[in-house]
Amino acid sequence: MGNIVEVRDLVVKFGDFAAVDGISFDVKEGEIFGFLGPNGAGKTTSIRTITTIQKMDSGSVSIDGHDIRTEFLEARKLIGIAQQHISLDKDLTVRQNLKHHAILHKVPKKEMDRVIKETADILELEEFMDHKVMDLSGGWKRKASIVAAIIHEPKILLLDEPTAGLDTRSRHMLWDLVRQLNSRGTTIFLTTHYIEEAETLCDRVAIINHGKLVAVGTVEELRDRIGRVCVEISDDVRRRKRYFGSMAEAKAYSAELGEAMFNIRRTSLEDVFLELTGESGGKLQ
Amino acid sequence: MSIIDETYRVAWGDLEYMKGNLVEVFLSSLIGPLLYLLAFGFGVGGSMEDPASYVMYIVPGIIALTTLSATFSTVSMKVLVQRLFYMSFDELLLCPIHISAIILGKTVQGMVRALISCTILLVVGWLLSPRVIISPWIFLVIIVGSLMFSLLGLMAGIMTNKTQNLSLFSSIAIVPMTFLCGTLFDVNILPDYVAFVIYALPLTHVSNLMRGIMLPDYAVGLDSIVIVVLYIAVMFAICYYMIKNNKC
Repeated sequence: MGNIVEVRDLVVKFGDFAAVDGISFDVKEGEIFGFLGPNGAGKTTSIRTITTIQKMDSGSVSIDGHDIRTEFLEARKLIGIAQQHISLDKDLTVRQNLKHHAILHKVPKKEMDRVIKETADILELEEFMDHKVMDLSGGWKRKASIVAAIIHEPKILLLDEPTAGLDTRSRHMLWDLVRQLNSRGTTIFLTTHYIEEAETLCDRVAIINHGKLVAVGTVEELRDRIGRVCVEISDDVRRRKRYFGSMAEAKAYSAELGEAMFNIRRTSLEDVFLELTGESGGKLQ
Repeated sequence: MSIIDETYRVAWGDLEYMKGNLVEVFLSSLIGPLLYLLAFGFGVGGSMEDPASYVMYIVPGIIALTTLSATFSTVSMKVLVQRLFYMSFDELLLCPIHISAIILGKTVQGMVRALISCTILLVVGWLLSPRVIISPWIFLVIIVGSLMFSLLGLMAGIMTNKTQNLSLFSSIAIVPMTFLCGTLFDVNILPDYVAFVIYALPLTHVSNLMRGIMLPDYAVGLDSIVIVVLYIAVMFAICYYMIKNNKC
């Protein structure tokens, strides 16, 4: 599979502050790519730049070979995005919003009603189609915005915190949708705060912190960065973690812990995330 | 053709909103001008020696004024809300649509509103003052004038980051234009330095053009045509620059 997104040395500044500071990565066609980072790490700025809304200061981004600075209209045809905020017109109904998206993305007129119905059915929106967006709950607004993002069957779907504010059932429904779209060939680029979500869904994950990319790889590759086995040691005051390359090393270490309470487990993506962005401040990089 | 097609695609959402709120939309754009017509035409005009002449004089002025009042606040507020509160303006920037079509598309709502409101006022004006000349050129001036003021509204909606700033802009630019640009009285009676400032304002020229077409003793000035075209070109260029450079 080739790369559908290629980001090279991307820099985006707000005044003197570099929200994105020289990041480079690729997203492969057909994969589910997770983009993780703490609040303010530069996730949304990156996604807004890739989707051509935000101007870059330097570097380059191409979507399926189209440079977004010179061929932005071509690039936009291939992109669908559900932004972190609900970017629907709240004065219009869900149906009107979906139709407007279809019109803006040049969905053929004769197919429009069928496409809208089929896409809305995926997230069980039919009951709310004639409700004004402003009258919907947060979860339904989120679903409507995701349906709007896929109405033109984009080649790559960018989801910025798509499950924020959704209940558990809706979140699982959305995960199913992501898998379903991906199985049909849509590449998914997903930013999320929920590590479990990235671990469950993503083929590869990138971690961004303070505008810089600290790691890219499969979940297994990222685990290898800090050690596949975690020994979690608890005492009355705090909880510590040590990482090891193998179970044997972890057991050998825990044998020396004496009466301390400890737990040996597989290193999770959350451990990786915290090590690379928080607890060790990215020192492992 | 592509630009016209894309302009319609952009305008579709705003037109749908208008279709669903016809009464509110047209009442809000007609009440003001009708009150001006009554208050100035019959109130102020009634105290003059020849009230009929004054009514005839202000009918074109009030139609010109409506190209401003029916467009600016609607377009600027809609764009501001879509940018800052609904965030739906972003969706336009994510579509495979040319920037020129985004700009023109966002002016359509204002132009349609102005065209309908001005047509109603034209009928009312003609009933009140049958000596006014009705010509198809009136509609061209309405379209061009409302395009200009819709572009002004779009520019304000793109550049403003607070509703208070939009109100301030309205107070320092729109309200003075409403009263001073020759819609209700002849600007030549003002001191020269004030008349010069007023000459530079766009509503003065829409008013002059409208009077040149509708009143027998007035002529269409070439200078007004040039100034209106220049205003449109400059405001379009500013909007284009702002959108292209993601400054909105």
